[in-house]
Formats: sequence, C-alpha cells, structure tokens
Amino acid sequence: MKTLPILDEQAVVRLSRQGGFATIQALTRPREIEFAQCNFEQRTRICTLLEGCLPLTSSSSGRGDQRFYQIELRFRTGERDDEMVLKVPEDQAPGELVLLWDKGELLQNGR
Amino acid sequence: MTDSLALRNFIPPYILRRILANGSEHQRASAMNTLTHIRTLRHQPGPPVRPPSAAILLQTNQPGLAQRSVYDALGKTLLPGMPVRLEGQPASGDPAVDEAYDALGASYDFFWKVLGRNSLDNKGFALIGSVHYGQNYENAFWNGSQMVFGDGDGEIFQRFTRSLDVVGHELTHGVIESEAGLVYADQSGALNESLSDVFGVMIKQHVLGHTADQADWLIGADLLTPRINGVGLRSMAHPGTAYDDPLLGKDPQPDHMGKFVITQEDNGGVHINSGIPNRAFYLVAQALGGFAWEKAGRIWYDALCDRSLNREASFSAFAHLTLEHARKRFSAHEARAVQQGWADVGVNLTREAP
Repeated sequence: MKTLPILDEQAVVRLSRQGGFATIQALTRPREIEFAQCNFEQRTRICTLLEGCLPLTSSSSGRGDQRFYQIELRFRTGERDDEMVLKVPEDQAPGELVLLWDKGELLQNGR
Repeated sequence: MTDSLALRNFIPPYILRRILANGSEHQRASAMNTLTHIRTLRHQPGPPVRPPSAAILLQTNQPGLAQRSVYDALGKTLLPGMPVRLEGQPASGDPAVDEAYDALGASYDFFWKVLGRNSLDNKGFALIGSVHYGQNYENAFWNGSQMVFGDGDGEIFQRFTRSLDVVGHELTHGVIESEAGLVYADQSGALNESLSDVFGVMIKQHVLGHTADQADWLIGADLLTPRINGVGLRSMAHPGTAYDDPLLGKDPQPDHMGKFVITQEDNGGVHINSGIPNRAFYLVAQALGGFAWEKAGRIWYDALCDRSLNREASFSAFAHLTLEHARKRFSAHEARAVQQGWADVGVNLTREAP
C-alpha cells in the first residue's frame, strides 16, 4: 500500500473531481492548497485526511464513467521535485475530502 | 482556509475497519454490514456481476428476451433503490423510469437483432438501471453491475435518460468488460470510451432508422439545457465542435493523432482522445454507406470480440484488428475503407501486437 510522503511547507495539494460521462474541464473545479499558506494544525489535519484516503485509492477509479477525486501531491524529496497522484472513487470518498475540494474547508476539530 | 461543522455523518471505510478491529460485538457487526455493502458498490474489472436485486426478476434464460428492471434511487446514492418497473410492466408515468426502461430495451434489441448477442455477457444478463440517483447528480455511469442515471442540475444538464445513446453507451461498457476488458486509461481507455460511443450512437440510429448519411453522430444531444451553447457532449463526425460555452469551455476532443492530448486528467484523457477513433468509425461508416451497423458496426464488433485484442491495446492495434475483420467478413473494398478511415485520423496501421 502507498504511504504518504513527508509534506513540508513547500508542498502543494491539488484536488479535482474527475471522470464522468464527459470530460468538462470547468466541472473538475481544481483547488490548489499551498501548505505555505496553511498553519501547522491545518497541515496536520490535511495530512491525516490524506492518510485516511490512501486505502481508498483504486487504480480502476473512473471506470465506466464513474467519477472520482484526484489528489495530486507535489513535494520535495531531498533536492528534487516529486509528485504522487491518488484517485479516490466518488462512492468511497470521505465527506471531509469532498468538503475540502468543494469549499476549501476542514471540519472543525476533525469531526 | 476556514473551518466548518458540516458533514459529520460520513463514516469512511478505514474508520469502519478500525471499528472492526476495536469495537464492541454490536459495533463490529454493524461495521461489517456497512463494509460489505460498500464492497458491493466498488467496481471490479471483468465480466458484469449479477447483483442481489436481480433475484426479483424471473429468469427466462430465453435468448432474445430482455430482462429489465428500473429502480428509483429516490435522490439518494444507495443502489439500486426501490423497484419501479420490471420487465413487462406498463409505463410508470415517471419519464426517467420509462425512458430508461425503453432505452434498455432498445439497447438489448440492437445487440440481439443486429449482432446476435444475448445481453452484456451473451448469457442473458439482467439489465438493471437506477434513476433519480443523488441530488442534481450530473452523471450517468456503469458500476460493474448496473447502470445509474442522475437527474442533472437543470442548469447545465438535464436528466441523463433523455439521450438514448447515453443509455446505450453505459450498457456497452458492460459488453466491453465482458469481452476485451480494455483498461480504462490512456489509449486503451480512450478505445473503451470510443467503443461505448460507437455502439451507443448506433443504438440511436437503429431506433430512428437513420443511415450513416442521415444520422447526426452526436452523443448526448438531448442532455444540455437550452442555456448552454452546444449541440451535445461529443460529436463523432467533428470531434471538438460539440460545445463552446462560457461556462463549460470548449469541447476538448481532438480529431487526429497529430492533436493527441497527453494529460494526467481524466485517466489520461479517455473521454478526450476517444474523439480520434470516434471519427475513424464515422469516416468508415460514411464511406461504406447504408446503415452504420451493417458493415462498419459489424467490423468494430468483430474486433472488440477478437480474443487477441489486448486489454491495453493501442489505437493502432485495434485499427489493425478492424482491418483484419473487414477482410475476413467482407471484401477488399470494405478493407480499403477501414484503412482509409484510420489513415485519415493519423492512426498508423503497421502491424503490432494487438
């Protein structure tokens, strides 16, 4: 199973809703979260959310026009830029992930 | 970034697994039930899976007779929902239910009467559709067991059962999974999408009695609301021209390999690059004339069912198979049309492993 890389202040998390019967870029509504703009608590909670998503990811996400949430992580590994892409099927996606993508909000106290 | 108190009631599977490991006996039983249900919702590649809801259908096993059942998901996302119309029952009066029922019948009839195929798995698989899925849900999909249709948001999309080719498209995903099982990414994924469009549009043409020349070759022509500047979601004749709207943007489909889109979005652009094989099929159907299903459709179906078609086939590999089957089933004339159709969209026909 994938493990979450170390995401420091330079990391960027990009969330988008992909798939569906037709690809319409405007409906993917990508949201980029720069960790440099987040405080420590917010970063910690996003990392906890992303760790919770790891077991939900599926390589067959999107099959048969099903929608899925794409999580793109851009981060530094040593001296180089790195990237990880996670795909969470829509029917598996935690509400907190949907809220973060939709509104850019986190649940209070992680509830 | 702000905090919110919303959305507390969703219990993701990883938490259910924690409950399974650490909860009380009652909690563990509840969590196991929920996890089992969630697994039934997950999509496993391969032949279609008969869901428990199919048990309410009478199994006639009589080839040529569809076994349809349409459910109402009642605005929720739990499948299949409440049964509303089973095979042989009269119209319900709910347009979404009756459109789905009729479209499933038209799709079954097309595969049976034109191609001699008995449903998705060629063994009479019961056709299940759920309508009114979710709230303002802007999508239709195949989940490995059944078809699911949203009502649309009313602003961009109308209900997804309005377009017969959309229902046919979803049903064809089940056929593809029973046959080649094309991997849903990159070129094989775009082929998967294209084949669903090809058979979806032929199902519509079959019902309308349209020849290749008369057909509109549009996918989802009845889905967009009047306020959207577009004629449909995809144009097989002229990919990239279906819509151009301030809200939706422009149709991103290429019509030639020279414009192939390399992207991380949409599983490598499966709904984008499908424009290329879509146009190849259109060109072949136009060149051969008459009804698209008589020759072009038959050739594409033979290639789809060819056991040598690899799950990760490229456009070129699939094109080569269509050429082989055009020669095998028809003659040099049809083979030349196939060769020209693929050449016109820039797909190389030099031999490679299918």
